[in-house]
Amino acid sequence: MTDNKPLTGGGLLFKVLEQHGVNHIFGYPGGAIMPIYDALYDSNIQHFLCRHEQGAAFSAVGYARASGKIGVCMATSGPGATNLITGLADALADSIPMVAITGQVPTAAMGSDAFQEIDIFGLSLACTKHSFQVSHVDELEKVLHQAFEIALEGRQGPVLVDIPKDIQMANVEQTFKIAAPLKNKVKLPLADISKALDLLKQAKQPILYVGGGVGMANAVDEVRIFANKTGLPSVSTLKGLGALEASDENYLGMLGMHGTKVANLAVHDCDLLIAVGARFDDRVTGKLDQFAPNAKVIHFDIDTSEINKRRIADAPILGDLKENLPLLTMSLEIKNWQAKIQQMKKDCAWRYDHPGTNIFAPAVLKAISDLMPKNTCVTTDVGQHQMWSAQHMSFDAPSNFLTSGSMGTMGFGLPAAIGAQISRPHDTVIAVSGDGSIMMNIQELATIKRYQIPVKVVLIDNEKLGMVRQWQDLFFDGRLSETDLADNPDFVMLAAAFNIKAKLITKKSEVTAAINEMLDHDGPYLLQVKIDAADNVWPLVPPNSANNEMMESA
Amino acid sequence: MNTTNTMNNYSLIIMTDDKQVVLERILQVTRYRGYLINGMTAKVNTGNNIATIELFVSSDRPISLLTDQINKLVDIKSVRVDNNASMLSTAKECSA
Repeated sequence: MTDNKPLTGGGLLFKVLEQHGVNHIFGYPGGAIMPIYDALYDSNIQHFLCRHEQGAAFSAVGYARASGKIGVCMATSGPGATNLITGLADALADSIPMVAITGQVPTAAMGSDAFQEIDIFGLSLACTKHSFQVSHVDELEKVLHQAFEIALEGRQGPVLVDIPKDIQMANVEQTFKIAAPLKNKVKLPLADISKALDLLKQAKQPILYVGGGVGMANAVDEVRIFANKTGLPSVSTLKGLGALEASDENYLGMLGMHGTKVANLAVHDCDLLIAVGARFDDRVTGKLDQFAPNAKVIHFDIDTSEINKRRIADAPILGDLKENLPLLTMSLEIKNWQAKIQQMKKDCAWRYDHPGTNIFAPAVLKAISDLMPKNTCVTTDVGQHQMWSAQHMSFDAPSNFLTSGSMGTMGFGLPAAIGAQISRPHDTVIAVSGDGSIMMNIQELATIKRYQIPVKVVLIDNEKLGMVRQWQDLFFDGRLSETDLADNPDFVMLAAAFNIKAKLITKKSEVTAAINEMLDHDGPYLLQVKIDAADNVWPLVPPNSANNEMMESA
Repeated sequence: MNTTNTMNNYSLIIMTDDKQVVLERILQVTRYRGYLINGMTAKVNTGNNIATIELFVSSDRPISLLTDQINKLVDIKSVRVDNNASMLSTAKECSA
């Protein structure tokens, strides 16, 4: 703050952000947010100029997911604000704590179809946990505190604060008071664990089904101890990956549409499903009425509305997973079930002996996973490479695998990796992308160049929108509609234009050396990996099928 | 949603802080979660700034799916299903 300069709404914003421990924000300036950017000039918070507001939103999401801290992004009114929407929707769907600040046209101009005016407050209703439009500068401080509180409380999510330009410019005094909660915290009933204990005692073939809520509840240790002490065979959702140790002999990998065969068969055969921070998503269950058809359900969740939403719970346990799960710990007599599972696991092990000289993407991702340093953070985009990453890579923690789970947003991976790397400058960050997805936010290479962010990009390139192509081949009689990307740019040349070192590999024999070169390189790096366009992701549970009806080849 | 299934009528009594766009939030959630709005009334107690909204909806889905979602909205104080309400399918009143 310059001496003798009165505090404005814009200046107050940064003071409150600092109060909440915010060190980094992602954004893009414009007309209606200029007073805030002027105040930024005097702030200690580091701002990262992204090259599209969607990139800023995803970088904030990646920052939050990799660090456990709240992500903050900001944009101007109108198109700046609407460009944030996909990132907000992604954060809502995956329960990511984020605060988005938007500039708005001056109060007097609102409702007049002014230049760059859009009702972002109205648009935010369906894609945020909550939103505010500040109507007077005196309420700004309280609203900002509430935004942080709401984003982090209970099931986390994104909160938008829309601030008209005149309020950004108005003089104000800071009170330094944290505002009272907007509403009383939801009072959850004390967990009734007795029914769950009975169900677990009686179970002969129980399965532990772990979701993204475990990482969000900071309950990874509790879940691992529970899995270890009970010896329960366990499966994970896409967003739960990293919560369980991949080396745990009872861990069977991901379940669902592209889950492992053993995970899906075990869940189909189980007589008790213990769902922890998971929500029976359609990509997990396949045909819902045939999902774990003979199982009773114990369901741990923080969100009342997830209980009985898609599957009736015989024993719902609402509340903090960290406190409640240990109450269920007991030793189980399930040796026969464990032995059966072990045999199935052996019979269903992944194979990497792919014929020919062409590169096999699952083998590349397995090799990267084996060679990358401990605590590496991997982000993905959406498509075949995403499912191959989930299947063939192992992660130390949920915060080390960032993927757009519920929303399935192409363009997520590169900006999310930027955010992750900024939050964890000493860890390796790898963005696994596809030749379709990378082009969705390719402009963020400029952000990497500007700040020399040492993200490693692994571009799995089949010159196709591979997952859509796979479905067109399998379920639409091979009518390949708008999925050919053979005219993509030269990615190595493109990277060079941003001063990013890059390499193209096309043969299996080049894989190991290329991965090592990428990991050893100090700065950003792009490794383009050409694969066969006909390669499919297997197994695949076809639409409207039960998970035990998975396809393993065309 | 499947309109050939049996549609049930429900009356909800919602108490909420009288905050910006709270009515829009309730209507948006109600539509998105698959409930048809047959009518509503809304009034604000200016003494405590608490609004009482009566919402008449129909759906083939269990009403708990909607009440759980409305209850998650930040400004909502309480939601209950009014089992004593008369047949409300004819209610078209909208005083909000």
